[in-house]
Amino acid sequence: MNINLTVNGDQRTYECQPHESLRAVLRREGFFSVRFGAETGETGADAILLDGRLVSSEVMLAAQADGHAVETLEGLNLPRGLHPIQEAFVSSGAIQSGYSTPATILAAKALIDSNPNPTEAEVRDALSGILDRETGYLRPVHAVLRAAAMLRGEKPEPVEPAIVEPLVALGGTPDMSAANPALNLDPLAPRVVPSPEVPETNVVGKPERKVDAVKLAKGNPAFVDDIEMRGMLYAKMLYSPHAHARIVAIDDSKARSLPGVKAVLHHENVARIRYASGGQSYPNPLPYDQVSFDNKVRHVGDRVAVVAADSIEIAEAAVKLIEVEYEVLPAVFDENEAISGNAPIIHDEDEMEGAHDPARNIVTHIDAEVGDIEAGLAAADRVFERVFRVHQVQQAPIEPHIAIAWLDSDERMVIRTSTQVPFHVRRMVAPLLGMPVRDIRIVKPRIGGGFGVKQEMLIEDIVGHLAIATGKPVRMELNRQEEFVSSRTRHPQTITFTTGVSNDGTLVAQRMRTVGNTGPYGTHSLTVQMVSGLRGLSTYNCPNKKFDCDVAYTNTPVAGAYRGYGAPQALFALESHMDDIATELGMDVLEFRRKNWTKVGDPLDVAAELGEGAADMKFVPVVTSSGMDECVVQGQRAVAWHRRNDPAWVQPADRPNIRRGLGFAMCMHGSAISGLDMGGASIKINDDGSFNLLMGATDLGTGADTILAQMAAEVLGVPTEEIVVYAADTDMTPFDVGAYASSTTYVSGMAVKKAADEVHRQIVTRAAIMLDVDSPGDIELKEKAAFAPDGRSVTLAEVALHSLHQDDQHQIMATASYVAPDSPPPYAAQFAEIEVDIDTGQVTVNNLVMAVDCGVPINPLTSAGQVEGGMVQALGYGHCEEMALDDEGNMVNARFGPYKIYRADEMPQIEAYMVQTMEKSGPFGAKAIAEIPKDGVAPAIRNAIFNATGTQIDNLPFTPERVWRAMQSG
Amino acid sequence: MNRISSYHRPATLDEAIVLLARTDVTTTVLAGGTAVNTTDLPANTEVVDLQAAVAAGISRDGDRVGFGAMTRLQDLIDHDDTPPLLTALAKREGPNTLRNVSTVGGTVAEGDPESELLAGLLVHEALVTVADSSGSRDLALEDLLADFSVLDRAVVTTVTVAIGGATAAERTGRTPADTSIVAAAGRIVATGLRIALTGVAATPVLVSVDSVSSLDPPADFRGTSEYRRQLAEVLVRRVADQLGGSA
Repeated sequence: MNINLTVNGDQRTYECQPHESLRAVLRREGFFSVRFGAETGETGADAILLDGRLVSSEVMLAAQADGHAVETLEGLNLPRGLHPIQEAFVSSGAIQSGYSTPATILAAKALIDSNPNPTEAEVRDALSGILDRETGYLRPVHAVLRAAAMLRGEKPEPVEPAIVEPLVALGGTPDMSAANPALNLDPLAPRVVPSPEVPETNVVGKPERKVDAVKLAKGNPAFVDDIEMRGMLYAKMLYSPHAHARIVAIDDSKARSLPGVKAVLHHENVARIRYASGGQSYPNPLPYDQVSFDNKVRHVGDRVAVVAADSIEIAEAAVKLIEVEYEVLPAVFDENEAISGNAPIIHDEDEMEGAHDPARNIVTHIDAEVGDIEAGLAAADRVFERVFRVHQVQQAPIEPHIAIAWLDSDERMVIRTSTQVPFHVRRMVAPLLGMPVRDIRIVKPRIGGGFGVKQEMLIEDIVGHLAIATGKPVRMELNRQEEFVSSRTRHPQTITFTTGVSNDGTLVAQRMRTVGNTGPYGTHSLTVQMVSGLRGLSTYNCPNKKFDCDVAYTNTPVAGAYRGYGAPQALFALESHMDDIATELGMDVLEFRRKNWTKVGDPLDVAAELGEGAADMKFVPVVTSSGMDECVVQGQRAVAWHRRNDPAWVQPADRPNIRRGLGFAMCMHGSAISGLDMGGASIKINDDGSFNLLMGATDLGTGADTILAQMAAEVLGVPTEEIVVYAADTDMTPFDVGAYASSTTYVSGMAVKKAADEVHRQIVTRAAIMLDVDSPGDIELKEKAAFAPDGRSVTLAEVALHSLHQDDQHQIMATASYVAPDSPPPYAAQFAEIEVDIDTGQVTVNNLVMAVDCGVPINPLTSAGQVEGGMVQALGYGHCEEMALDDEGNMVNARFGPYKIYRADEMPQIEAYMVQTMEKSGPFGAKAIAEIPKDGVAPAIRNAIFNATGTQIDNLPFTPERVWRAMQSG
Repeated sequence: MNRISSYHRPATLDEAIVLLARTDVTTTVLAGGTAVNTTDLPANTEVVDLQAAVAAGISRDGDRVGFGAMTRLQDLIDHDDTPPLLTALAKREGPNTLRNVSTVGGTVAEGDPESELLAGLLVHEALVTVADSSGSRDLALEDLLADFSVLDRAVVTTVTVAIGGATAAERTGRTPADTSIVAAAGRIVATGLRIALTGVAATPVLVSVDSVSSLDPPADFRGTSEYRRQLAEVLVRRVADQLGGSA
């Protein structure tokens, strides 16, 4: 049928099918800023303006829009430069991955058009339809207020870091009941607590604009799906409806005979090659328990068969025509039941490789001990034991998994994919496709969030197989339901802590027994659980420690990597347990922890026993920097911690059913995987003295490309915009493991710094000749020029032209790589303020404050965004997100809404402080920041509920009935 | 092959009714589309979009306010004649991207058991006008929710509510904007207190203070039957207390 639409002022007739969504038609017509987030419209990535109103274009038929006016972000874009709303978003640090930024900017436009001076509440309502998994909403909301001010003709002050005075360094005990001076600060100003040890820098440490700001703010085609391939086919998977079953027979003849179907693949026609799907360094940790297609299915949502067809509708229809006969087997979902010896065996195949005890569903067993745990427990004055259970959640990036594969003119396989690990994917997919690594090229464009779920070779083998089978480009995109049940999730665990303490509150012995639940495949199971042990047992000093862990196969959706990677589970248990022990001992909960937490110079002895994955650590690392003391007092003051001991505050007289509480959790993480994971970078100079920075590092919205460019700019004496970043493409850039394990700043950053140092050396050598200076070491690079000691200078453009064109020609260029010998821990103090309705169990979170020691934040704006957004994801983990399975293993809430993530209009107050320390092993003093914000919110809420009600809740999340039942049982 | 085989936009109510009266094809009414477009429809369904056939708009008539069935929820929220309780509860029907398309008539026809707006309409004594080939009639909302068969091949054209009377609402959910597990709305009427609950039955229902303890709510992962009954008792008591305790 034909419809008439006025799109961005241009009236035209468009052809569409009656069933097609407005989003599908707009994208087909090239309006790439309108993006897919969920088939049910809740993400708002698909939002457009219809007759000036913000609406989801996914749940509107194109035919419904016939005769109406549509606006997309393309209509707002200027030929050059940015619209004021876009400018406000960039300068506020409101953009991370940028996937939903076009919709958010349209929401802002619709609001400001009708209400030039909106309140914060009105802005939050205007953004309520656009889910943001990245920023925590603080920066987008205040960016809209800033944009409104700019459009009213005001000139807001630039967003600069707010310097907050250190409290510990002042000496004595600061007055914690004094009002927090930060209350009057601009909400957008990143709070930085400086350290005198940090040297002055020009570019590093500054709130620089993101290097990818323009394409993201304008919604330019930059993501996997934003290309058009002639003759492209669409893939659709048939997923298992059973939690555990054998495929007895499969008949694809009806599907194959459907016109438009080009290939149907399943276990009978795809080579059976075993692999582990986790994107990790060579050799991938065992077990190798997956094949592209198996004759058995092990969870609802497991792969059965895939179709490639001329359209997604034909592919979907063909999937329904595949006839599969299943022999349904008994299933098991609970990790403890799975390893009991009386459970169905999930991997009974002969060629099973590398699992600990498949007959008992044990994937991995980990045992690590420091000192003598039994003797330590026996010698302790008091012994405490408690069992905790943490649940299954999903990473839920707004851009789901998507990949497009094709054979190029050399008949090499190109896979354009939304991945955190392009180089690992290339190496891992090669044997599955029967192709050498040299014939495979992985391209990672902009990524709409990952959070670990894309540290996986998840669908790249499928599009690769289909491209080979059909000789055509093949696109596969998971819908939201598939993303929930068929990708990866966070490992549930049962955790038992047994802790011996002396009467003065000194830890004597600590044992952590963990049973992890990996679902039916062991990807990441060894390493996630190792990190659980590492974080659970190295946060505090203790002479006798033991980690004892089994990871179970079950028939739930598959667990994998999720930001935090085993630490949120461990720290929920540990920090709950520590609060309980302090209370039992009659000690202050902060003082008890302070007495025991690791300080500078303390050994991280469990690290030497556990490492992370294949790394075999040859020495006991020690803590080299810690701002923990400062983090705690900053957070205490910001959250008004003293109120927790005031009965009139805890039990407000005018609200008899309400109890209020404040809770704390200590957090400690790592910075990269020492001795194992490598970052690499190349830098070359251009004719005008600018540089290309080519990296394998993978920015998934974190701002990694920006902070790495800042590091290069700092060394080379140029502004950040002189560094043109390209990442990542396995044909073009040096190897890098990719984005995971809090490694990019610390490891890839050092690789960039080393490459820049070498380019610096080449430049000053050349400049010394040009300036006739004897010692190149006397030349200084600054302001895009090389300066002799006497003040004479040549510009970098002159240096570049000289070396590229004029004399003794040479490409000034360097490649460097780096593996860290160490993994210095960032520390953080997490505080939560909550209230509980004691009649219903409803918990309301009112405030979250996190003070983080990440060393030197390379970019305070992006660092603050990492902490704010991470805290809000962590809030979801603790408070409201859960994958609910029925008795047959079907996820009953595989949709946003029922799977609840926070919206802009219901957010608690959030505040992030960055407490500087100078970590000498890191680039410019930096440690990691990406993951630690995930670690402390759940235990801080739990401890706040304890403060409010006296009830200790040992399982997540804190949904009303769970809290109500815990209060009922005392 | 595709779920929707054709799209109709009738220009008048009569045309819409003729399209829906056909017995040889499967049809579905499309109001805003936020529900229909996220539902797995039967194959070869023909949609009948009411945007040109049924009126939107809000008008006051004595002690009642009428909403054209195609009134968007955001317009209901923004209109001065909308009773305050309905303004507040309509905001809870979803984020602005959906409120800008969802309609009053669609909300009524959907009968979502968790719709707080429906609970608010129940306590505001909503009357629903339904038109089909046999003509047009008014039904009490509670009667419609008890038996949706009246909407077979029919169209909701208007919803009217009584105004005035003190109101109160209480709810419990996982987060402040979450769809409530159970919610209660109450309003003082001539005969006493009118209370409706969500989350305790197949649709929002009117209850009396005394009948709450005998409810048998359906369970889901957010709330067992026992817990929902507990919530119903607590929330109804709170609403009654706020409205002076009269039942």
